[in-house]
Amino acid sequence: MPKAKTLSKRKQQRPEGLDEIEPTLNEFEQRMRDAENESTAGKRKVESTWSVMRIHHQRSRYIYDLYYKRKAISRKLYKYCIDNGYGDGNLIAKWKKQGFEKLCCLQCIQPRDTNYGTACICRVPKANLEEGRTVQCVHCGCRGCASSD
Amino acid sequence: MAADDTEFPILCETCLGENPYVRMTKESHGKECKICNRAFTIFRWLPGRGMRYKKTEICTTCAKLKNVCQTCILDLEHGLPVQVRDSALSIQDNVPRDEANRRDYLARAAGELETAGEQVDFSGRAQPAGREMLKRMARTEPYYKRNRAHICSFFVKGICTRGNECPYRHEMPRGDPELAKQNIVDRYHGNNDPVARRMLKRSADSAKKSSLASAPEDKSITSLFVMGMDASVTQSGLSEFFAPYGELKSIVVPPKGNCAFINYRNRSAAEAAAAAALDDGCVVGGKALRVVWGRARPKGPQSELQRPATAANGIPLPPGAAEDSAQYPSQDPTAMGAVRR
Repeated sequence: MPKAKTLSKRKQQRPEGLDEIEPTLNEFEQRMRDAENESTAGKRKVESTWSVMRIHHQRSRYIYDLYYKRKAISRKLYKYCIDNGYGDGNLIAKWKKQGFEKLCCLQCIQPRDTNYGTACICRVPKANLEEGRTVQCVHCGCRGCASSD
Repeated sequence: MAADDTEFPILCETCLGENPYVRMTKESHGKECKICNRAFTIFRWLPGRGMRYKKTEICTTCAKLKNVCQTCILDLEHGLPVQVRDSALSIQDNVPRDEANRRDYLARAAGELETAGEQVDFSGRAQPAGREMLKRMARTEPYYKRNRAHICSFFVKGICTRGNECPYRHEMPRGDPELAKQNIVDRYHGNNDPVARRMLKRSADSAKKSSLASAPEDKSITSLFVMGMDASVTQSGLSEFFAPYGELKSIVVPPKGNCAFINYRNRSAAEAAAAAALDDGCVVGGKALRVVWGRARPKGPQSELQRPATAANGIPLPPGAAEDSAQYPSQDPTAMGAVRR
């Protein structure tokens, strides 16, 4: 959460164009708060954080889309969003790389998190998966984030 | 706890799986041994595609004491439950059951194993009869079905929300519910093991059935089957032994020559011969032979190979007019000696 500033300071720092995207950002903020306060009944232990990861991905995706794909916001506004926590800079950095365009979260490509030093199962393209069974990865509930899927 | 760090666990081939390449993780003091409750090194691997991850359940000390696999607690040589192996080879279970005594015994055994080496003979070299029995009861092929995932208990109740991505099996539990109540400590010590009980019972029953004492129910069986022959056992020797009990219809020796069929004209003769073989044993040509009851005699060729040469009014039929079930002997399976079950 960004540090709270006094009204005048905040007014000074607002870049132009923030007003157009602000409603969407607030909506994401609201959804995130709802996800954090969800009841954990009927869910697996790992499943409780999945919705939080999902909204984090979606919010970062929104910022990434605006700047890199649609070129609808200025660099200054983009930087402002990253700095204030409206989008994850590290995740967006991965999306710029070939093969990681649809990456779900940063945990899934961390080899230190797996038993055999591999990436998460969600990174395997569905074509290579066989069995025909959809898997939900244990970190973020992703069902497959390879670029070919 | 372990002074020496083992590189590889003590496992049976079935637990490791079909794939000769296996990726395994090792964790030094991962879990408690299910028998002695001491921390030990656990190994975890995937025994094949679509299987559940297996891990070692008991420590090496406990496994070595009973010569069993660390995961499935079955004998390493035959893959049989401990109770079955011990009853066949008359091995006593010296491990105390009581908590403190057990821990102490196992701790001491851990130290002794390194110095003294194995003392109990688990392969039964001293008891060929027991070993024979174990070899007969053992599986011929590895049973990989036991490496499958466990049954989804939610599915059984009808409330599995995971659906397609559920890693557990969506099947109803099959098999005898009696066999489902198994306890790892009981299986290890070899007492009150329902699987072992069933195996021993089945082996005892089949031994009784094929024994000479019980005459087969099918009264038409008038023949005995002799096994364990070699070159010294001649046809005349056999007839000499079996003739006194009644009229012999024939003695058939298949080309391989290690067995023979003794066929009598009537049932009472066969029974008399069986009784004699049971009491005195059958020794022909200096060789002790094994005698059991034969199976039902196959009937001869069941089809008429002769076609009716004339039709109803006496005029010879053209060839191919009459339709028969068999034109050649080979088309009729019973004519070749096969038995239609």
